Amino acid sequence: MTINSITFLSLVRREVARFTKVAIQTIFAPLISTGLYLIIFSYSFQNREVAGYGVPYISFIVPGLIMMSLIQNSFANTSSSLIGAKYNGIIIDFLLAPFSYIELSLGFMIGGMVRGLLVGTVTYLVSIYFYGGAIAHPLLALFFAVLVSSIFSLFGIIAGLWAEKFDHVSIFSNFFITPLTFLSGVFYSVKGLPGIWSEVSLFNPVFYMVDAVRFAFIGQSDISPYFSALIISSLAVFLLVVVTYLFKIGYKVKS
Amino acid sequence: MSTAIKIRDINKSYGSLQALADINLDIKKGEFFGLLGPNGAGKSTLIGILGGLVKKDSGSVTVLGKDIIKNYRETKKSLGIVPQEITFDPYFTVRETLEIHSGYFGIKDNDEKIDELLEALSLTDKSEIGPRQLSGGMKRRLLIAKALVHDPEIIVLDEPTAGVDVELRNSLWEYVISLNEEGKTIILTTHYLEEAEALCDRIAIMNKGKIVKVDTKENLINSIDKKLIKIQFAEAAHGLDEELLEIDFNLKNNKREIEIETARQDLDKILKKINDLNLEIVDIDIESAKLEDVFIKLTNLGGDDN
Repeated sequence: MTINSITFLSLVRREVARFTKVAIQTIFAPLISTGLYLIIFSYSFQNREVAGYGVPYISFIVPGLIMMSLIQNSFANTSSSLIGAKYNGIIIDFLLAPFSYIELSLGFMIGGMVRGLLVGTVTYLVSIYFYGGAIAHPLLALFFAVLVSSIFSLFGIIAGLWAEKFDHVSIFSNFFITPLTFLSGVFYSVKGLPGIWSEVSLFNPVFYMVDAVRFAFIGQSDISPYFSALIISSLAVFLLVVVTYLFKIGYKVKS
Repeated sequence: MSTAIKIRDINKSYGSLQALADINLDIKKGEFFGLLGPNGAGKSTLIGILGGLVKKDSGSVTVLGKDIIKNYRETKKSLGIVPQEITFDPYFTVRETLEIHSGYFGIKDNDEKIDELLEALSLTDKSEIGPRQLSGGMKRRLLIAKALVHDPEIIVLDEPTAGVDVELRNSLWEYVISLNEEGKTIILTTHYLEEAEALCDRIAIMNKGKIVKVDTKENLINSIDKKLIKIQFAEAAHGLDEELLEIDFNLKNNKREIEIETARQDLDKILKKINDLNLEIVDIDIESAKLEDVFIKLTNLGGDDN
């Protein structure tokens, strides 16, 4: 499992160049939807606070909205890159070249992370206008953002490898990522959910990501950020192993 | 001459279809080797196994002495494979594509080689445009440039001239021949049998997943005992019909031309008989069998099951 820096960085360069060449579609378009959330929620709930948090509602949802952008874009980058490569036939470029399996995993993953973090950063910059821009633990926020973007980049690789057409990728997006994200506590505190729903949310991995980033932003969270860090880190490592194995067996790319 | 590629007992099935059956083949270093066979013979599957695109069921393949599974990174660096299907990355220009591809093979600042390839493949003036704007033939040449960008020792060309016009095809072959003369091993699959006949030193003929014959081009052609005699007479050749009773022939142009297909040992007898008629001969041409005849015979494309 060795890494040749030129080989590996060429894949990262290709992955980053691919989305920056269509930046309007990949970076600025996602900002529109997140910007609309910020406008709507900041004006609709400007005098509302979230129970138990003591912060304005907009400060509460900003970390979640940033996570949402980051998650969707990390996933979109790797999944569309791979299904596009399969569709165009250039998937064979990655198979004929002397990439190690870990290089393929990390190369695609970092491409997705760069896009996710870039969109997340731009979303944060826009959100400064709405909530002031304070971050309680900036390094921790960066740490969680890096981990979360890696998870959804890896998840996107799995989707891209599995998918046989573009529609299949949207199955992942519409039936897994969007529901898990919306039900993760982006817009509400999971602690405040009635009855069993509070416990059910603990089975949603996105909850730990949103909650941990919220801690980094406002210093408060529904559960311990250390526990969330453990869950998120474990998931990232697990997915990296899975993706590397899928490349090794040539899952749905070798006949 | 040492071995460039050693293939041993390769089998590959897709469900109930056996795509490759017990393939054994040695390709020597520096050879210009042809892999011929009808559609579905297994040529592309074999090349796919070589490049790591297809998983073999059993057997082993070594490239320059290294196993393609255990030492796949080294073997991939030694191989430059031009796939049959035209593929392109729509996001990048021709030059960017070649730069990225150089990087994949661990080569930084490869401008000199890229310029050489663009020139050799007549793509220099297209280097800054995207592949969508290239014609089919240009896209194929870009594929060839991608396969050669890391200066591989073994170059595998799977139908490289399909859709490429005659002039560019000739310039492509000149370039490939020069690479072969530099010592590169070339493996070629093509539907143009005259290309294989003109270029290859040795040829393997595949059919239905098996290698039915491997030999030098000359031996393969000589294995077909066939001569085609074409004679043009100054005037109508009356009397030939009676003289050549037991021979298959075809009279043309008011009996001024005759075509006779015969075995090598009958050549002398036929020419003597024609000579005995004291006809004035304007032109005479004797053709040997072609690779196409060998191909048809070995792959039963003529429909003869014997």
